[in-house]
Amino acid sequence: MILTRTVNSRRWALAAGAATTAAVLLSGCSGGGTTSSGSGSSDSINYALPANFTPNWILPVGTAAHLNTNNSSISQSLWEPLIAYDGSTGKVGWNKDNSLATAADFAEDGKSVKITLGDRHWSDGEQITSRDVQFWFNLVKANKEDWASYSPGKAPDNWTALKIVDDTHFTITFDKAYNTQWMLANELSMIRPMPQHVWDKTSDAGKVSDLDLTPEGAKKVWTYLNTAAKKISGYATDPLWKTVSGPYTIKSFSTAGKVQLLANAKYDGGGKANIKTVNLLPFTTTDAEENALRAGTVDYGYINATNLSQEASFTAKGYTLKPWAGWAITYMPYNFNNPAMGPVFKQLYARQAIQMSVDQATLSKVIFNGTAVSTYGPVPQGQTSSFVSEAQKNNPYPFSTAKARKLLTDHGWTEQNGTMVCTDAGSGDDQCGAGVDKGTKFKMQVLSQSGSTVTDNLMSALQSSFAKSGIGFGIKTAPVNSVLSQAGQCKAGDSGCKWQLSFFGSAGSWYFPAYPSGDSLFATGGGSNFGSYSNPDVDKLVEKTTTDSSDAAMQKYSEALAKDLPVIWLPEPDYQVSVVRSGLGGFAQDSLANFHPAMWKWTKK
Amino acid sequence: MSAVIQPGRVPGKATAPVTASGTRLAVRRFRRNRLAVVGLGVVAFFFLFCFVGPLVYSTDQTHTLLDQVNLAPSGSHWLGTDAVGHDVLGRLMYGGKVSLIVGLAAGVLATVIGTLWGAVAGYAGGWIDAVMMRVVDAGIAIPALFILLVVSAITTPDLTGLIVILGFVSWLVPSRLIRAETLSLKNRDYVLTLRAIGGTHGRAIIRHILPNSVSTIIVAATFQIADAILLVAYVSYLGLGVQPPSTDWGGMLSAGLTAAYSGYWWLIIPPGLAIILVVWAFNAIGDGLRDAFDVRGRG
Repeated sequence: MILTRTVNSRRWALAAGAATTAAVLLSGCSGGGTTSSGSGSSDSINYALPANFTPNWILPVGTAAHLNTNNSSISQSLWEPLIAYDGSTGKVGWNKDNSLATAADFAEDGKSVKITLGDRHWSDGEQITSRDVQFWFNLVKANKEDWASYSPGKAPDNWTALKIVDDTHFTITFDKAYNTQWMLANELSMIRPMPQHVWDKTSDAGKVSDLDLTPEGAKKVWTYLNTAAKKISGYATDPLWKTVSGPYTIKSFSTAGKVQLLANAKYDGGGKANIKTVNLLPFTTTDAEENALRAGTVDYGYINATNLSQEASFTAKGYTLKPWAGWAITYMPYNFNNPAMGPVFKQLYARQAIQMSVDQATLSKVIFNGTAVSTYGPVPQGQTSSFVSEAQKNNPYPFSTAKARKLLTDHGWTEQNGTMVCTDAGSGDDQCGAGVDKGTKFKMQVLSQSGSTVTDNLMSALQSSFAKSGIGFGIKTAPVNSVLSQAGQCKAGDSGCKWQLSFFGSAGSWYFPAYPSGDSLFATGGGSNFGSYSNPDVDKLVEKTTTDSSDAAMQKYSEALAKDLPVIWLPEPDYQVSVVRSGLGGFAQDSLANFHPAMWKWTKK
Repeated sequence: MSAVIQPGRVPGKATAPVTASGTRLAVRRFRRNRLAVVGLGVVAFFFLFCFVGPLVYSTDQTHTLLDQVNLAPSGSHWLGTDAVGHDVLGRLMYGGKVSLIVGLAAGVLATVIGTLWGAVAGYAGGWIDAVMMRVVDAGIAIPALFILLVVSAITTPDLTGLIVILGFVSWLVPSRLIRAETLSLKNRDYVLTLRAIGGTHGRAIIRHILPNSVSTIIVAATFQIADAILLVAYVSYLGLGVQPPSTDWGGMLSAGLTAAYSGYWWLIIPPGLAIILVVWAFNAIGDGLRDAFDVRGRG
């Protein structure tokens, strides 16, 4: 290797070395793992994970840092949800085959629900009972602040009690009447029964008991389970993870990201695995993954949107291209508490100037090669929906860098060396606004996910566009897990509050449950309100979407956020342009961006 | 004292001290090596191309032009445009600056660190030498690319950071070479005489060991520069190099590969060729310098 050779090496060897290096680079040396043609067996399948994503969590409860649909998909293959409300059948709805519950009967007053469990068993033979649901419920109740899906006022706050009727029946009561479809799709679908008879302890050697029945005990159990879950190398060997309810168990789980799932022979649900071994392969870049596809080592992968024109070359290799549209929005959250730029971001005119500098139509057409849809608000616009307001559809802030510049100069900013500088501090209508000091430069920094050429191009295009408005836009990149862990909620004085903007949406930033209400994203204190956006009027509208079943509630919410700009709205790309080996079927691509390996089936290979 | 102990006047067995006549001989021998001369020409060309070229062929490498993406080479864009509308020829100059600056600076830094480390280890000998060289052995055992990937995962280096990181992972080989040279030089008469009349160890290293190792240092430096340019290409190819809108040849190659199967050859061949040519050129220069300084071949 070049680094260890000595001065005495021969000159032509060096030139050959350089050429070989280039050849290795061209072949995509950074990829995933297998060298054979596909999985090589009808009993197995090779699935490509998104570029630069490394699976790092399987516990059904976790913190925001582990929030990722791919982690969730793996976890749900091991521990089935109580109610699987997803798009795995081609239409978003309750997939009872992959659920532990068989019925959910709401009370007439809408203030409680009685749930019936199926006759199901854990992989160790024990029956799955209401007590396992209660175990999850108690842990989440006692540790709600650490739970990734927590949003104040919503689950578990609005679940006042869980009462066990018998082993297969229990009732959950609410603090008030709710839209039953919203409750089912957005809240009850989060419940993940866990094996209380194995996990209700505080150490590996500890005795299992009813610790979760007290908040103190539940906190200790939560800490124990979360600590154990951080040890990725133990996923395949730790006895803790051997008791599952889903169609698969873990065969191997490498810290480098390669995961092997093995069909659970004891599974007794309706979503039995069709393929015995599932290999989930990590890739550092989309290019590396594409090279693996071309080499035939991946059965179910994806390509860059920019390479759609190469469909024929993949078809010739026995693949079919299937765009995978998501029920999602893509955005870049502002950190409103960032000490340097937070005060600027808090000014609506500044956010308007930023949004006016984003030419979504051109970005969708050129950067995403027509595989993205302009989205101007909080409701997905890629699919027809009665939830989208007219204001959001019509884009309240059309692209115009000239208007963006004027907006800034009208508010006390002056361009100096290509960047706007606040020269008239104060809170008057024609001044920079409260908290913005004189001399503040309008320079933003984004931490963007790496590994995607399309995302790199998107960032370059945004940088260029912002520059025309006098707005500086620095770009730093990091793997998506790193971006997610760095872009958390923070207070101005925190050391972790240095981030200003973050982008983790190469394949869409946020995939909604069936109801695209923004309680977690945009409500004050919402669990995934990364930038700490807060607007009391919006809070009321968000609240109404959860209790009022009319479309008008969603439309008012859509309009308010399209105008108030809690984030930078960006085009929503297809989740991915899938490349699927011919003969692989039995599934629909879930618009909620989960994958369901148990549904995959070889019809020929 | 230095007038008495002039390295050039002390007869040596294997390595001739650098003197005016020695330099002329070295230049003559270097000029006889055609590949080395071509290599020097290639390096000179790329320096002119990257640093003077933008003055002649001016392009906008800051703003994207989304209505001019992936255009084939033409009169207005000699090497076409990339996926965001940048002129590729201009970008080759722009990216080349980064590659050459980082490569040169990191190569020099690695050589300086390696030279000092190797000289001290070789001169001190005994357990100090043993400890210092085991550190080198351990460092060599860890692939540089692995270290770079780990560092890049932890932090996002800027240009200076990249130079420092590359410099600190590349100094191990030169340190071994300089140590070997020092082991030979420290027992020469002029060094022993200096010590006998009370000269310090530091003076022996700085005034005699290092000047007499200069040929080895220069040769090592050229190879280090070539290696550093390749390393920059490696990390940029993996998306961990300089941040947009900056780029370097490795980054350009990485971005261009997305279009490899779309027939956009102008996004791949120019940066790939530039990397190969410059790395080869520095290695050819290194080989030429090694032959030029090698006393055994002098005639």
